[in-house]
Amino acid sequence: MNEHSRHAAAHPATRDTIFPEQAPILLHEAFAGDQHIIRLQAPEIAAHAQPGSFVHMQVHPTLLMRRPMSIMRANPKAGWIEILYKAHGEGTRLLSERRIDELVDLIGPIGTPFKLDGYRRRPLLIGGGVGMPPMIFLAEHIRRQATDNQPLVILGSEVPFPFKARPSQILVPGLPAEVIAGMPLLEDWHIPSRLCSQQDFPGCHQGFVTDLARLWLDSMEPRQHGEVEVFACGPTPMLKAVAQLTAEYDLPCQVSLEEHMACAVGGCAGCNVRVETETGPAMKRICVDGPVFDARQVFPQAG
Amino acid sequence: MLAMDFCGLHFNTPQVLLSGCVGFGEEYTRVKGFSNTDVGAVCLKGTTLAERLGNEPHRLAETPMGLLNAIGLQNPGSARVVAEYLPKLDFSETRFIANLSGSTVEEYAEVTRIFDDSPIDAMEINISCPNVKEGGVAFGNDPDMSARVVEACRTQTRKPLIAKLSPNQTDIANNARRCIEAGSDALAVINTVMGMAIDPEQRQPVIGNNQAGLSGPAIKPIALLKVHQVYQVAGPLNIPIIGQGGVTRPEDALEFIIAGASAVGVGTALFYDPLVCSRINSVMVDYLKRHNMTHVNELVGSLQLHEPATSVCAN
Ligand SMILES: Cc1cc2nc3c(=O)[nH]c(=O)nc-3n(C[C@H](O)[C@H](O)[C@H](O)COP(=O)(O)O)c2cc1C
Ligand code: FES
Repeated sequence: MNEHSRHAAAHPATRDTIFPEQAPILLHEAFAGDQHIIRLQAPEIAAHAQPGSFVHMQVHPTLLMRRPMSIMRANPKAGWIEILYKAHGEGTRLLSERRIDELVDLIGPIGTPFKLDGYRRRPLLIGGGVGMPPMIFLAEHIRRQATDNQPLVILGSEVPFPFKARPSQILVPGLPAEVIAGMPLLEDWHIPSRLCSQQDFPGCHQGFVTDLARLWLDSMEPRQHGEVEVFACGPTPMLKAVAQLTAEYDLPCQVSLEEHMACAVGGCAGCNVRVETETGPAMKRICVDGPVFDARQVFPQAG
Repeated sequence: MLAMDFCGLHFNTPQVLLSGCVGFGEEYTRVKGFSNTDVGAVCLKGTTLAERLGNEPHRLAETPMGLLNAIGLQNPGSARVVAEYLPKLDFSETRFIANLSGSTVEEYAEVTRIFDDSPIDAMEINISCPNVKEGGVAFGNDPDMSARVVEACRTQTRKPLIAKLSPNQTDIANNARRCIEAGSDALAVINTVMGMAIDPEQRQPVIGNNQAGLSGPAIKPIALLKVHQVYQVAGPLNIPIIGQGGVTRPEDALEFIIAGASAVGVGTALFYDPLVCSRINSVMVDYLKRHNMTHVNELVGSLQLHEPATSVCAN
């Protein structure tokens, strides 16, 4: 047996980057379609969260597993974060019964967020269902940067939207005039948004988010496509369609993924997805290697 | 009070972080307040000779007080673990134990040889993984094969070897005896219990691999009995046991030690509470003081059984 030095290795930069917090519930609002928005006082998480980050939440003391939840808004000054969730399983249903001032055990922020250095000046944000929150976070981030960029947010939902839609005051060239419903919060930030659904909701595009995105892209001069970059989060079929569209128009596209999680810190390899890398196929952890990936890596067949 | 010797290794405390739950040793240090110094040793993810990509999703499903997993031994292969992962570990904080797997006896031996030539402190032989097609639990449920695997590993190293036993077999005590005779220095009891979850709407198993291994509080009573049974064989031979399976509350750790475990493994419980180990340590110290003990060793195997009943039926 060789002698090996048992050295004290330099600690990796990832140490102490995820904060455990006992977060009081500040607000808890119910919307149609079993949707809920919860605001939690979690100053460390709020201070360190970036668009794409999530928290891992003990939804209820009787359940063994935590639930990963995307952060929709983070207010570092006031020290709170906001989460939108749909009560569709036992865990989220129990969460929906929790009251103001109760404490929720969180660890966060977790994940490799959206890469945003030098993104193109026409960011197109596409969010479907419970995939909307990271897009709201990203939109707020883009607004804070106060540049001359021209973002557009397209949201899709098959249940009523978790906000009261209102006619947008911000004109978006290339979109049908009757598609006018937008999200008030985004309006307040002067970010244009449009809504889509297969249901017949007033002012919404009746169809897929990718149909509306295509209309918008086709209304531009082809050279302007070089200014567009896409960010998306939502159900897998939607993400596949977005990957297809962006491959067709040769646009950079980042997608945020979801999977069952146990540890959410990279320890169990339970959340992995197959991605295509330069060195061949790999199984990457959604919790720490993601949740944000390049669309071409996740959907290599698209386009 | 809690620091101890385990097969000649210094353990800070009797707790061991379990293979497959803590990646390659550094992942949980992301969490502020977590420290590898709270435990005696950290077992790394199961490692094979060549890289394995593992199973397709879903790899996890929650069940009442339990967790089903079928990861499929995803790992970068033993050479890369030694070259790329071990140099990142801080050996001043705790002991690190490799977890060996293979689909042939020769593969187990080769992986042992590769880790022997590395700074790793000890090796756990995983003959009980339920989530791979070859080797794993197929070896672990056959005492002859278990012994052959342990013997083959033994020829490759003088570092401590720990055979990890499967609960999915009829006579775990006999298997334990065979592993000890084949040269195992310690035993890990138990690995996960095989199980399944079904989605009735899809009429499909929830887990991509169809079947999976169950861990967490749901398996604790099974694990306690297996530790008790193995201790009858291993105790008299001074072969220490790492008891595991569902340890969640500090009291669970005490129960395993009373049943005969010298050290206690914590896996699934970390997913709920990443800071659980420091809590277990302080409750253990309180308990020992309350019972006028000066060292945790005094508690090992201190179980006092009831007088044998006249009835032979367990119901
Ligand atoms: C996600 C997951 C992955 C695991 N991977 C391995 C492994 O690679 N090798 C191994 O020997 N045991 C593995 N195990 C089993 C654990 O090490 C442990 O024996 C078992 O989970 C029981 O302890 P627990 O209930 O405290 O988790 C794994 C368990 C889980 C939950
Ligand atoms: S959930 Fe454990 S590695 Fe991602």
